[in-house]
Amino acid sequence: MEKTRKSQYASPMEKADSATFSSAGVIRGFTRGQPLAVTAFVYGLAFGLLSKDVGLSALEAVLMSASVYSGSAQLAALTAMDDATPWISASPWVVALIILVVNARYLLYGATLRPWLGQARPIQAYGTLFVLGDGNWIQSMNAHRAGEQDAGYVLGSGLAMFLGWLSGTLIGSLAGAFVSDPSLLGLDFFLVAFCAAAGIAMFDGKEDIAVVAGAAIASLGVSLVVSGGWAIIAAGVVGAAIAYARVKRAGYLS
Amino acid sequence: MSFDPQFLPLLAAMVLVSFATRAGGFWLMKFVPASPAVEAALKATPIAVMVGIVAPAAARGSHGEIAALAVIFVAMKVIGNDIAAAILGVATVAIVRFLMS
Repeated sequence: MEKTRKSQYASPMEKADSATFSSAGVIRGFTRGQPLAVTAFVYGLAFGLLSKDVGLSALEAVLMSASVYSGSAQLAALTAMDDATPWISASPWVVALIILVVNARYLLYGATLRPWLGQARPIQAYGTLFVLGDGNWIQSMNAHRAGEQDAGYVLGSGLAMFLGWLSGTLIGSLAGAFVSDPSLLGLDFFLVAFCAAAGIAMFDGKEDIAVVAGAAIASLGVSLVVSGGWAIIAAGVVGAAIAYARVKRAGYLS
Repeated sequence: MSFDPQFLPLLAAMVLVSFATRAGGFWLMKFVPASPAVEAALKATPIAVMVGIVAPAAARGSHGEIAALAVIFVAMKVIGNDIAAAILGVATVAIVRFLMS
């Protein structure tokens, strides 16, 4: 509480000093992001392979991976252009809507980066957001909580995963059949596993219990009704609301 | 390496929507005045999102997923490295699925 108040009332000069965006930070993020890059590479292999089934060329698959850069959204988009409807017959609107729904959680990710990444220049910030993924967002927020101040870290770890994802897509599309079914290797579980591990690392004890409980109830409730990304969004919004309400109430009491 | 020009409208739609979701939340927060309560909300969001990813997966998961989450919990307490713990979890899922298939 004391800490947040302090940063809130820090002078603009102090603020500029407390968060930087340097090549050292980019390199640090890129290095720490390597294990994530490997998993992105393997998942990219699977996407490259599946993209062949709907008739995308290797170049088209890589362009799709570069522009969407989201395994869950791309696999969902492929279902809109399955064997019965090769991609040519897929409506851009339907594909856009699928990506919007699956990727809506990124709205939350971007919002949480505002206090940190917002102190970088806009071109740096929006360039960083272009390569923002689940894995590197979680890793970066964990690093930030542990004291990382350089917003270049977010770009570096994002680039690491982005390159793994693109090279995986390319090789999967060209060479095929390495990973016929990602679920056989448990790869579909990686994001869940990484979130569980990072969540345990991030858990701050008493302060987080209400947030975690609220998020769990919200996500379980929503997942009973609709599948996909909505449970994640509900968890994020409810968790944020609980933390917001707690600070507000503390403010009124003091 | 062929490229069909008809792929362009599809690609354009995908680029625009994807970037809009990545940049949209960040951009909107520009208009929300910073306050201790907003800071606390943003700070709590990551762990809440992680719960939102893990809890439904655990609820619908079978033996492999449950065993993996237990392995991850122990691995975090013993080694404390999140990526190593996640890889052990993935390996657990793969092994259990292999044994039960």
